Amino acid sequence: MIQGLLGLMTALTLLVTTYGDAAAQKGTGAPILSGPLAKLDIKPAQIDTPRGTAKGTLTVAMHFALDPGWLDPLEHITAVTMQMYDYLVHDAMIKPMPYGFVTYGLAEQAELSADFRRAAFRLRPGLKFHDGQPLTTADVKWTYENFKGAYAKLFHDKLEHVQIVDDRTIVFHFKEPFIDFIDLYNGGVSGIGWIVPKHYYEKVGRDGFKAKPIGAGPYKLVSQQAGVQMTFEAFDEYWRRTPATKTIVVKGVRDLAARMAGLQTGELDLAFGMTGKLLARVMADPNLRWDPNFTGPWWLMFPGYNDQGSPFRDKRVRQAVSLAINRQFLVKQETQGIGKPWGNWISPENRDALQGQEAPVPEYNLEKAKQLMAQAGFPDGFEVEYTPFPPYFDMAERITTDLRAIGIRGKMQTLEGPAFRAKIGQGRKGYPGNRNIVQNIDPRAGGSKANIAVYAVCDSPSSFVCDPQIEALWKKHQASLDLAERERLVKSIQKIILDEHYFVPIYWNPFVHAVGPRVLPEGKAVSKYWDTLNAPYPWPWEIWEVKADR
Amino acid sequence: MKKYVLVRAFYSLITLWLLVTVVFAMVRLTGDPVAMKAEAGADPAYVAQLKHDWGLDQPLHRQYLSFIGNLLRGNFGHSFEKSLPVRDIYFERLPNSLKLGFAAFMISIVLGVPFGMLSALKVNSWWDRGGKLLALFGLSMPGFFVGLVLMIVFGIVLGWLPVLGKGRSALVAADPSTWMTFWFRDWSYLIMPAFALGWYFSGAMLRITRSGMLDVLGSDYIKLVRLKGVPERMVVAKHAFKNSMIPVLTFAGLNLLIMVNVAVVIEVIFNWPGVGQLLYDGLSNRDFPMVQGVVLMQGVMIVILNFTIDVLYGYVDPRIRLSR
Repeated sequence: MIQGLLGLMTALTLLVTTYGDAAAQKGTGAPILSGPLAKLDIKPAQIDTPRGTAKGTLTVAMHFALDPGWLDPLEHITAVTMQMYDYLVHDAMIKPMPYGFVTYGLAEQAELSADFRRAAFRLRPGLKFHDGQPLTTADVKWTYENFKGAYAKLFHDKLEHVQIVDDRTIVFHFKEPFIDFIDLYNGGVSGIGWIVPKHYYEKVGRDGFKAKPIGAGPYKLVSQQAGVQMTFEAFDEYWRRTPATKTIVVKGVRDLAARMAGLQTGELDLAFGMTGKLLARVMADPNLRWDPNFTGPWWLMFPGYNDQGSPFRDKRVRQAVSLAINRQFLVKQETQGIGKPWGNWISPENRDALQGQEAPVPEYNLEKAKQLMAQAGFPDGFEVEYTPFPPYFDMAERITTDLRAIGIRGKMQTLEGPAFRAKIGQGRKGYPGNRNIVQNIDPRAGGSKANIAVYAVCDSPSSFVCDPQIEALWKKHQASLDLAERERLVKSIQKIILDEHYFVPIYWNPFVHAVGPRVLPEGKAVSKYWDTLNAPYPWPWEIWEVKADR
Repeated sequence: MKKYVLVRAFYSLITLWLLVTVVFAMVRLTGDPVAMKAEAGADPAYVAQLKHDWGLDQPLHRQYLSFIGNLLRGNFGHSFEKSLPVRDIYFERLPNSLKLGFAAFMISIVLGVPFGMLSALKVNSWWDRGGKLLALFGLSMPGFFVGLVLMIVFGIVLGWLPVLGKGRSALVAADPSTWMTFWFRDWSYLIMPAFALGWYFSGAMLRITRSGMLDVLGSDYIKLVRLKGVPERMVVAKHAFKNSMIPVLTFAGLNLLIMVNVAVVIEVIFNWPGVGQLLYDGLSNRDFPMVQGVVLMQGVMIVILNFTIDVLYGYVDPRIRLSR
């Protein structure tokens, strides 16, 4: 009798739990907006039931000094490193996950009106910040209004007002159609969708928040030494699941040899940026596992190409540069053969990027390259300043060696990372003169249009290309409310950039990360941690599992 | 004597003022720090906001007055790169640098002084040649090389010592229990970086001890002591050693300051969280407040050391204070 009752209760519990999950995962409820809606492709959240128990410590090595500023989404610029910390401490309304580039996070329902003038979200019930305070639409509104990072001006300029319907429902009203809203509000693109607690931020202020942030993410920051180490503890009440690892310690270890040594001695469980000279040792070590973790393609740019007197003004010279690069050899030397020679400068993981037949890998043909140089009036070549992406100086040496074969003699301008980024940020203005080649990589998310908007349109502060044909297409793109047409236009612009050799793609870069023996699961299955699209780092963190501490 | 001390103190303050003024001007010659944060595609409004927040939209003289005003209130400013007050970050790191610096200093003394003395006492013998060789290795094998070798041998191959960081111990101002324990815990983390750092200085220490000792041993008063029939052991221990140590200690004091403040390479290799890395990061990122703060503190240490030496010189030798 008792057994029968227990069985009945268990069945009922299972039924209720399953129904609840299904509803949550479907992400649908009563409509929020009236009128016709735009079609959104947002994947439901995957919620783990039953909830597990967090155990063990994961020690992670970043390849540069840590910045407490990364812990504050309100000042989130486009640097992907910041997102790594967003995924630890905070949570976004919608965000990239292994099961989709746009997935439901704090929001369980989203709607966008067909005229792109209103966007609505419904928060999932029972959300809490780390201090136990409820996360409500007041926090969502406050975060939007106080956001200062990337695209902040656009978000604020477009906004007419925010309507809080209730604690879980919010509507953003825009002054004009905001077709890119969902793209940009996605946690993978900007910081505005990562919700910070209004009550706490107002209490502790900007510095206090960076020193001891509170969020609604899977991990709580328990301590930090600025620039050196951050320690995070699992937030057991995280809505999606109990984080698998109890403690995550992040250290800033800038020296590659030190990261390698840390992995080998077991002081580190995960190290980023293991590409380069030590990659062969990582691959050969039976105790280590690695993931190729493809990010973006390398490419060359020619700042000042359209100045009078620049040799790169002639398309044939730019094409000769492309023909002179031995991509297969570079991939072998630089990445132990795991990189992929590539025909586009935008990552294929970014939406609308040309790839395959649409953007074939350029050929390696020295004879043809020399002919083109001669036809362009440079049979003996010329000197250029070559600025490599730091610290990939060996790779730059190899490329300049290739270019020397057609007479282009590169003088290396080596810069520290921040100085390089500062110059890139200034676009063409960062490189005086008209005989420059810049080697770059930028795995930014937000669709191929994000890459074009930064590097290839005239009015971008970081522009390296200014072409009337591209400008006309871009103007059309910006005015269009037709998604299919926008996709066509973005692809056409890429085609022009590649056909004109404004940018010369090299290879799709593997940004190799390595893990030690304590990381579960065993074997190559660890690659599952790198499944999130367009993510140079392995998030979400709540799924990372390690052996229990001894 | 009182007047002499006051004059020296005044000179020290002038030196510090000149130092902060020069550093204030020099860092601004390196370029625009906002550009460091404003990466490709950065929102111009965000860039303008940063400039305003960091006070860089103010005229230079206003920036300078505000900088000096803040310094007088003990405020070093706000790190551009690390987004927190420079003073908090600096004083969190300083104990680690002091711990590493003192340990390396002890190693340099323990290796340099006895071998230097032995070289001088047994001049032109095998001991002397051995000492010279040791000094040569010390001066020609850079710390990063010694560090990497130590790391491979004792960290990776033998697995005896940890290779990264400083361990869990920390000196927390609000927790008096850490004030003493910090210095005596996690020594396993300290051994390799301290040796790699102290190794280089031990070579220099050996050379200067040897030459100081040779000078003293060849002096007239030592000859007189020997003529009086004092045993050689007593000549060395009581009369020669003390006097030969004067240049060694002055040199050692400066070395200690260098080891505490600019052990950047060793700090990077062993991921030791010291102030050297702060300065390096500050320079790489055009973090003006950080560079100004760290250089000022280094200046303060050097000025205090020099001031102390000046006062002690004046105390032991009245001719010095009368001549100034």
